[in-house]
Amino acid sequence: MTSVNRRRWLFALLILVALAGCGPNRVIVDGNFPPPLIEPLPLTLGVWFGDDFTQHEFFDGTKSRNESGWVVTTGEAQVQMWDRLLAGLFEQVIVLNSPPGVGRSSSAVAAVLIPHVEELQYALPAHTQIKVYEIWMRYRFELVTVDGQPIAEWTMSSYGKTPTAFLQSDQEAVNLAAVMALRDAGAHFVSQFTRIPAVQGWLQEQGVPSEAITP
Amino acid sequence: MNASFIRTLAVCAALSLTSACVTSTVDEMTFNEPTEGIGDSSVVILGRRHSSDYETEPDFVACVGDHITSHDTSIRVIDELEFLNALYPWFEPRTAPLYPKNIEQLLQQKPVAQKMLALKLEYLIWLDGSTVRTEGAGSMACSFSGCFGFGTWGHDANYEATIWDFTDQAEVGQVNTSASGQSYMPAVIIPIPIIAPVQGAACDGIGDQLLEFLSSEY
Repeated sequence: MTSVNRRRWLFALLILVALAGCGPNRVIVDGNFPPPLIEPLPLTLGVWFGDDFTQHEFFDGTKSRNESGWVVTTGEAQVQMWDRLLAGLFEQVIVLNSPPGVGRSSSAVAAVLIPHVEELQYALPAHTQIKVYEIWMRYRFELVTVDGQPIAEWTMSSYGKTPTAFLQSDQEAVNLAAVMALRDAGAHFVSQFTRIPAVQGWLQEQGVPSEAITP
Repeated sequence: MNASFIRTLAVCAALSLTSACVTSTVDEMTFNEPTEGIGDSSVVILGRRHSSDYETEPDFVACVGDHITSHDTSIRVIDELEFLNALYPWFEPRTAPLYPKNIEQLLQQKPVAQKMLALKLEYLIWLDGSTVRTEGAGSMACSFSGCFGFGTWGHDANYEATIWDFTDQAEVGQVNTSASGQSYMPAVIIPIPIIAPVQGAACDGIGDQLLEFLSSEY
């Protein structure tokens, strides 16, 4: 290789390295989620994770995906957390491979839960001047019969934050805040689920003992 | 005077120069101390994380736990994350009990009561507070030939420990500590940080008081 060619290759490499630094900060949320310590409800629940849920990612809505400062992918962690949580909350959970709908009938599950992430927002110390990374999420849940008839629908928020720490990168801090938000979502769901009037009515219909239903 | 003594003296002098001064105060109010110690029961130290603008640092919580166990190895302090995971979701910021009377409600859940029994939990200590950086001054310029200048900044630490007796479901003490210190960084070619161990002083202060409460040896 001549010295001119070598210089050209070196220049191209430098340009590539410079361009690689121009993209958004990407975080694929990764965490360990514990099972809930709770007496399970004596029911078999079906759960349907739609594509919008399993592939959920967030980026600044005012810009395109590639222009956004951050792209936070939560889908895999969402499925992992909700799988774990629901498996502890109900005696049995069946993850469906197709959505509930007209014409489908099965006595295997009492109802089907469909979670949606409606909104996700983040705040970094650079935005707020507070040395805390924060993530908010808003969920919408549908509880439907196997053939798709609505039983209950409700929304729920969750919040996670983590302080800045020495030798902790922005990506690590955003990941930790997202994990905290997911843990908070689980805590909120457990404390809220049996308090929703439409869910309470459904649980009574299913013969769940009244002491398992929070007044 | 032999050479090794002079070398030791030089190392000590260098170490004392690299740490700045910290002032700290501790207030304590405790009652119903376990005079015989806590036996084979355990203690858990948890950070309060309800405030929106600060968070009790997990490192500080771990530091206080380490301080207690390193001075009295008979005291079993359960790791914070291990406890939070074992009791999930009952000690998350949203669901954690705010008052000792809330413990009874929590123990009405059979799996929670069984877990607490297995852990032999006697005391639950809440730590609330944080260490913040205060005003800084000075400037420093760095180039290929090195750094030149001077920088200084301060840190303030304020923490409060609240002790709950898990068996009696009552608050049995409070310990407050505050510490502040100024750090310096002179630079003549190489920057030399002279750090004030503010958080460490607060950890020692609160750890000593908790040790006095929990240990029969102090």
